[in-house]
Order: sequence, then C-alpha cells, then structure tokens
Amino acid sequence: MKKVLALALALCMVFTLCAISASAEEGKVFNIYAWNEEFKGFFEKYYEVPEGVTVNWIITPSDNGAYQQKLDEALLNQANANDDDKVDLFLAEADYILKYVDSEYTQDITALGVTDFSNAYTYTVQAASDAAGVVKGVSFQCCPSALIYRRSIAEDVLGTSDPAEVQAKLDSWDKFNAVAADAKAKGYYMTASFAETYRVFSNNASSPWVDEEGNLQFDPQIEAWIDQTDEFIQNGYTLTAGVWDDEKNAQMFADGKTMCFFGPAWYFNFCMGNAQDPEKGCSGDWAIIEGPAAHFWGGTWLLAPAGSDNPTMLADVMNTFINNEDVCTALVANEAQFSNNIAVNAKFAEDPDYGSAFLGGQNDVAIFSGMTNNIVWENHTIYDQLLNEGLQNALQDYYKGNVDKDSAMQNFYNYVNETYPAIVTP
Amino acid sequence: MNKQKKKGISYAKWGYIFILPFFIAYISFTLIPQLMTFYNSLFENYRNGLTQIGPNFVGLQNFVKLFTPDKSGTIGMLKYFGNTMVLWLMGAVPQVLVALLLAVFFTSYRLNIKGQQFFKTVIYMPNLIMASAFSMLFFTLFSPVGPVNQVLLSSGMVDKAIDFLGMKISVRVLISLMNFLMWFGNTTILLMAGIQGIDQSMFEAAEIDGATSLQVFMKVTLPLLAPILVYTIITAMIGGLQMFDVPQVLTNGKGTPNRASMTMVMYLNNFLQTSKNYGMAGAVSVVLFIVSAVLSLFVYNTLSKQYKK
Repeated sequence: MKKVLALALALCMVFTLCAISASAEEGKVFNIYAWNEEFKGFFEKYYEVPEGVTVNWIITPSDNGAYQQKLDEALLNQANANDDDKVDLFLAEADYILKYVDSEYTQDITALGVTDFSNAYTYTVQAASDAAGVVKGVSFQCCPSALIYRRSIAEDVLGTSDPAEVQAKLDSWDKFNAVAADAKAKGYYMTASFAETYRVFSNNASSPWVDEEGNLQFDPQIEAWIDQTDEFIQNGYTLTAGVWDDEKNAQMFADGKTMCFFGPAWYFNFCMGNAQDPEKGCSGDWAIIEGPAAHFWGGTWLLAPAGSDNPTMLADVMNTFINNEDVCTALVANEAQFSNNIAVNAKFAEDPDYGSAFLGGQNDVAIFSGMTNNIVWENHTIYDQLLNEGLQNALQDYYKGNVDKDSAMQNFYNYVNETYPAIVTP
Repeated sequence: MNKQKKKGISYAKWGYIFILPFFIAYISFTLIPQLMTFYNSLFENYRNGLTQIGPNFVGLQNFVKLFTPDKSGTIGMLKYFGNTMVLWLMGAVPQVLVALLLAVFFTSYRLNIKGQQFFKTVIYMPNLIMASAFSMLFFTLFSPVGPVNQVLLSSGMVDKAIDFLGMKISVRVLISLMNFLMWFGNTTILLMAGIQGIDQSMFEAAEIDGATSLQVFMKVTLPLLAPILVYTIITAMIGGLQMFDVPQVLTNGKGTPNRASMTMVMYLNNFLQTSKNYGMAGAVSVVLFIVSAVLSLFVYNTLSKQYKK
C-alpha cells in the first residue's frame, strides 16, 4: 500500500514538474498592440488563453499615425526589451501593413505552424507577404466594401429599394453622379462626407502614391475623386464633414437625409451605431450593393513580430481566427463580420434562412462573397495611411471654402515634407 | 597651528554647496539638452518607415530649408511665428489687463472686497484642468453637432450649424479664450502678491495729497509693480511662444483652417511625430530659442528702463 502511495506521489511530482517546465518555455505575458478595441472584443470572447498567461493590451488610436509611432518604438526596442515587455502580436491595417511586412521586425508564420491558408482570401495573404513571398501574418476578416443605402430614401429617389434594381441604377460613376442630382432635387444628400467615395477610387488606382525615385504622384483615380468631389460640393450633393466626423455620423439617424454610405462588414458595428440606435436609429432600413466599383477598405491583420517569446500561442491565435470553423462561424453569426474563411462564409451565403436584420433581412455574406473576386492587392506603399489622411484633411479646407485649391494642395505638400522627408513633392 | 587653520575656514563653500543641486539639475536637464539640440540641428537624421537615415552632417542646410519659401511664396517658419504671436497677443493682452484690474480691486483697502479667498480660488480653477482636457471640452462644445450649435439652432438664432472649428477667426478666438481663461487667475495672484508687497503708507500718502484713484494707480502702483509686471509678461511671452497643447488638441494637430492656427511648436512636432526628424526639429527649436531670447531681452529692457527713471 505504501509503495503504491509513494509511486502515486512520485508520479504526481513528475507530472507537476513536467507541467511547470512545459509552460516555463514560453512567456507569461502576451502583449498585443492594437489601435482600437474591435479585435480585443473578439479575442476575449472566442480565444481561450492558456492557463497562467496574462494578456496585455496596448491600445493607441491610429489618428495622425500615433499608433504607428507607438508600435515602431516597441518594435525597434524589441531585441533589448524584457521578455514580459516584448511585442507578441500586433495589428496592422492595409494602409501601412507593408511597412511592417517588408521589414526584419516581423517573422515567417509558416515556421511557427500557421501553414493552412486554403480557406483565406488570396489578397489577405498577399497583403501579409513580403517581397519574397514569406507570409508574416493573417487577417481575421475580409473587407470587400459595399455601397450601403437607406431603403426608404432609395424608394423615394429611385422608385425602388430592391438591391438588384438599385445596383442597376448605381453601377457606374456616371449613373451615380446622375442619381446624386435626383437625390438633391428631392432634398437628400447623396453622401454625408466629401471623402465618402475616396476609397472606391483610391483602391482602384493603377499606380502607387510614390514612384521608385521617391516622387509623389497622383493617380488618375485620385484625380477623378477630386473632380467628383468638386462637383458634389458645388452642387450640394454631399456635406463637408470628414469620413469619421460626428456630423457625418449624425446622418445615420432615422431623421438623416443621406442616401449612400460606403463600408465593409466591420462598418456596421464600428461606424453605424447611430443607425442601430433603438430610439433614434433606423435598423432594417438599410441594404447593401456592390455600387459603382469594386474595392475594399481597411481590414485588420494580425502580424507576428520577430522575437516574440510566445511563438506557440501566437500561432495558435492566428490559426484560431482563420481556420477554427466554430470561431469563424461565430464571427459571422454573432458579430456581423465577414470572416476570412471561404468555407464558413459560403455556408452562410447559401443558407436561405440567414439574413441580417439590420439590412432588412438581406444576406450580406452572399453579397460580400460575390465581391471578393474583384479585390486586388497592388500599388501599396508604406506611406499610404498618412498620405490618404493628409490629402483628405488638406482638401477639406478647400471644400469648406477656407482656401483656394492651390493653397490646399500646397498645404498637403508641406504636410508630406514634414511627415516623410524622403518623399519628393511636386 | 590649529587655531590658525580655523581662522582660514571659508563659510562661503556652504553657499556653493547649497546652490549646487540647482546647477546640477540645470546643467543635466536644461543646458546639455539645449546644446544637443544645437548639435542635432546640423545633421540629416530621420526615420523612413522603420529605416533610420543618418545622422549625416549637413551644416546649416536644415536652416536653409526652414527659410526657403514654398511654391506659393510662403515661408512656413515665418507664417507659424506670426500665428503664434497673434494667438498669444489675443490671449495675453486681455489676460494682463484683466489680471491687473482684478489685482487692484482685490488689494484695495477702500473696496475691501469680501470673500476674497473664494474668488481667488474660483479664478485660479481653470488652471487646474489639464490643457488638453480643457481643449477637448471646447472641441466638443463647439463642434458642428455640439451643444452650442444645438442651442443656437433650437433657439432659432441661426438656421444652419456654425462651423466654429472651420473658420480662422473663431478658431483663433477659441484658442485665445482658452489661454486667457487658464492663465488670468495665475497672473492675478502674482500681481496681487506684487501689490501687497508695496508699502501701504505710499497709497495713504498719495491719497492725503489728493490723488485720484487713477493717479494712484498710474503713479504709485504701476511703477512699484514694474519688476513683477515685467516678470509676468516675460514668462507669459515665453509660455506663449511655446503654445502647443490647446491648439494641437482643438485642431487635432492640423492647425486648421489653412494652417492659420499652427504654432511654432506644433510645426516642430510635425517633424518629430512620424519621421523622428531630429535635424529639422532641432533647427526649429534653435530658431525658437533665439526668438525667445531676443524678445525677452527687448521686453526686459524697455519695461524696466521706463520705470527706473
């Protein structure tokens, strides 16, 4: 009896020791850098953190590049940081992902055990791959961006609120601009921000912001956006608010006068809180269509920093959010996301019972799935975020009537010179 | 022998020892950084993405760049200096005048205002709020969908929301107003201390001689207050030249509209934020230092000379 007891105790000890040594291999603190709470919410709900590990969120808003600055300092200091202070995972947006992917500060995730990208949309993998094709991260969402319109206003302006019929009336810029005039005639705005259509144009650019010699260049698509916005402002088809401004968001209440917004799946929860407001909102009065041109907007990639002391957990998080069917299903069903898992999305797209109450029962996943084929990942630079922001800010001054166009452009060039000394401005 | 030695002891060394901590702190936290700034301003030294460029010695090239006009013929540095001075004067002139008036009222034994402690606390209050929080408050109050516009709209005074943060004049007025509100209490208390330091018998003597209140103020209070007044104006000016937090937060770092509310330090900050451009930022700092020094000397000389006679 004693022998059995001794054996049992000995075994217990061995197991305990094993357990300790197994978990001691990796860090106890998992640091995640992000610019908002979106992913944090999903992570806390759907990812089971290994026992004994504390997850630490370092969140800095991305305005004016503040998030990039914070992250840069941490990554440049990664080699000297204590294990508990090392960046273990960081989030990046399409506009600046290249800066991190094409650097030595991120690492190959296939070596960590994230190898199955068969269900991920191709552009999300391309975006996270460096020039040599090494994959450095994954996105937990796919972000084809749709034209989101108010059904009741479309009924009034176009005589129909049916998505297929509305799409037929808005499937090119010429038609879109013509409808804007009709909307104005009925007392509506076509869009609520002067920069609402910016992404639709910029995403279809055929050249990057900066050429190989470092010269700033304007793609014809950007020029087309400026021309369209000039016309929209002049004719009062849109407001002078920026894309993130309260003034624009106020247009999403039931008493708003704006017909069209542009945004991907994350837009519903992240930006359309006013529309979902139980008292002042108008949930159900919305629908989505592809609109005048295919494009995507944003998207959050999870990138693997070099030197993380939690490589196993890092790989596990990535696998969970692209390949775990339950988690991806929950993201679509509970969080109104369009997941980065083709199989899961297809299940929803084909389900006749699935529909979004916010969109009046429309199957948004089916629409988004149809749009994914048209997304291409090209012509990006490490400067995109602040150049896109800077141009919009400078031109907003012009559209508000504070400066003439030349001064606005000069202000943009000055901003570029201050922000990126390496770029040569005209 | 011993006695002789003791005679030679100098107690002056204790004086040096007591002032030593200040000099150590001054040299390590002010003088060395200042010299480093001069040194850095001579280098090309910035970050492009995650790649460090430089430091490469470029002589005075950063200063040349700073004073080269852009295509529209504007020299950025001069424009932002002008903005800073306008914003400062719009806030500082009323600030000193109101503070002077309040200080005279509060210290006047004839008025003998009750509840002084209460008023002093209240006027000092805004200074306790963080400038950025104060600025954020104004940003929210005066936004196109903010409470001020809502009140104006619902009372029928305007039929379209006023874009306070999009117009040059209103942005400048708001910035000056905030600086005024934050600092006039502080100035009042300094000036009160100054006035209380003046011998009361001076005022009494002037009154017996039949001087009016205005005469007392002009001929007695002001000249005797001059040292404190000069100090107040110089510190206010240096603070004004370094104006940053209020306009930065109110305009979200953009100095809108048309960079008309961009101050020199905001300009400096633009170089540091993304590209960590120590060369150009250093050059702006050096110019700022020279301007502050020259203006301070000028104010000091004119104001103190005037009242020394």
